[in-house]
Amino acid sequence: MKKFIFILFGVMCLAQWIVPGKMIYDSERILEEGTVYKFKTAPIDPSDPFRGKYITLNFEQNFITFTDSLEWSTGQEIFVTFTGDSAGYAVPERAFHEQPQSKTYLRTNVEYVNYYGDNYKVQFRLPFDRLYLEESKASEAEKVYWQAQQDSAQATYALVSIGDGQAVLKDVIINDKPIHDIINELNKDPE
Amino acid sequence: MSKQILKELPDLVHAEVIDEATAQRIRAYYLQQSAQSSNRLFIVFGILGALLVGMGIVLIVAHNWDSLPKRIKLAIGFLPLLIGQVTAAYVIIRKMEEKAWKEGTGVFLFFAIAISISIISQVYHIEGDLDGFLFIWMCLALPIVYVLRSAVTSMLYVIGITWYACEVGYLENSDRYALAYWILLALILPFFYLEYLQTSLKNNFYYLLSWLLAASVTICLGVFVDDSEMTIVIAYMSLFSAFVIMSRMRLFETNRVLTNAFLVIGSFGIITLLLMLSFDWFWDELKQREVIFGQPEITVAAILTMLASYLLFQLLKHHQWNTINTKSYAFIVFIPLFFVGTELPVLAQLITNLLILLFAIYTIRDGAQRNHLGILNYGLMIITGLIFCRFFDTDFSFVFRGLLFIGVGIGFFAANYYMIQKRKKQA
Repeated sequence: MKKFIFILFGVMCLAQWIVPGKMIYDSERILEEGTVYKFKTAPIDPSDPFRGKYITLNFEQNFITFTDSLEWSTGQEIFVTFTGDSAGYAVPERAFHEQPQSKTYLRTNVEYVNYYGDNYKVQFRLPFDRLYLEESKASEAEKVYWQAQQDSAQATYALVSIGDGQAVLKDVIINDKPIHDIINELNKDPE
Repeated sequence: MSKQILKELPDLVHAEVIDEATAQRIRAYYLQQSAQSSNRLFIVFGILGALLVGMGIVLIVAHNWDSLPKRIKLAIGFLPLLIGQVTAAYVIIRKMEEKAWKEGTGVFLFFAIAISISIISQVYHIEGDLDGFLFIWMCLALPIVYVLRSAVTSMLYVIGITWYACEVGYLENSDRYALAYWILLALILPFFYLEYLQTSLKNNFYYLLSWLLAASVTICLGVFVDDSEMTIVIAYMSLFSAFVIMSRMRLFETNRVLTNAFLVIGSFGIITLLLMLSFDWFWDELKQREVIFGQPEITVAAILTMLASYLLFQLLKHHQWNTINTKSYAFIVFIPLFFVGTELPVLAQLITNLLILLFAIYTIRDGAQRNHLGILNYGLMIITGLIFCRFFDTDFSFVFRGLLFIGVGIGFFAANYYMIQKRKKQA
């Protein structure tokens, strides 16, 4: 019995390291090998009971339009590839039911399918809409972000690394400056 | 109290009420009692301490220290896990007999897992839904229950999987019938069996865990509601009947009513369900809707009815049919009643009201026979509940309703007075 407990204990300890370890490994690999896209983005300031404060990003390019329904339905798995527009921001290029040949695709789920005119708008979830921040900075970051959103001359986007179906949010940039730097500057010399 | 007795012992010996040997035995008895109670306190504080420390670290990590480099953040996040695992190894080798160590370490390790996953989510901004987070957390926490045989960890696990089922089944709709929940629930049952049922160990941990298990299943059964939603009441009626039947089986029997979660949840569930169905809206709606066979509600109802039937069959092997709780038969009466209701809603509503009255009278009689004031008053509460419900949807005059309430009020007084007098006579 004791031997069995030891084996189970060993397996448990391994699993408790391997599962989070795999999460780290996957994220690091995507950051290193993935393709980086700029996603135009508006934040709010909710918080998570376990993981603390974060700002939520609202993306514009989270749908793709088809002339045929192609049997897309809510909750279904969808594989999306992206390309850049003339300003260098990411736009969805193609969507697949199966895993595509290309390495830089995103694996996600359909949020809803909307039919209008002769088109089907398939909206999907972009699973990188949270930027975790230090507790004291989250609401400040939100303010900075909202100011940037109201001013159409300012460019606000998220840097996202995509590879092998997964995505990792690298940073949020406002006028070519990371949001962390802007907050740090604000903290140094408050207006 | 015990100290007072100990102080008086020399006087009692001096007055020759007791001899010296008896005095020694009394001293030894209270010494042992105080050792047991301090051990129990140690367990409680061990668990509370681990709970507070674990949750405190979760909150500190949630602050998300921006100034720390990524590697340091990850290392800090994994430190509690390492400490938890090393302590667990020490407990397995050295302290397996000490409950406070096992429980405290189990609880700490349980939260350490959450911390390690949380820190990765923060560092890499992994959005991850709460249900996915809870699922991974519970999967990694399950072995702790078996390795350390920790009852409190098993309770936290049951709370965690229930939360998960509510997230996916009621809120997210991502895993339609929360199938993973039922698997995770099945995985904790061997612990419940081996630790408590097989050994007939009925301590506070057993009472709490059985309450949580019964409540969890009751909460999560509703995830099966689909297109044929009315039929879920059959599933619930069979589940509650099965609980009442189980409560009488030797495996689940306890000395006090409140410590028997299956009896309380089962009985209270049946009465609440019947009171809800004593209104006309349910039966009117049932008549308008079609019962669709093959829907998940029907499948679940069939499985639970078979289970309740099997348990009843087993119980009747050892007990006379009229000596067990009448609510054990609730599902047998309710299923035909349900199908009568699809055609004749008024008749079904009338029978439901009569059924509640019947259960109330039986409960009052049971309370009187067992000389149990709690059960007796529960029966009277059922009648009050029934009258209260009728207060809203019948055409009875105010005078009649008023008289009904006065009648039940007098009934409460008379029944309790009779019982107390009976007790006094017996004393």
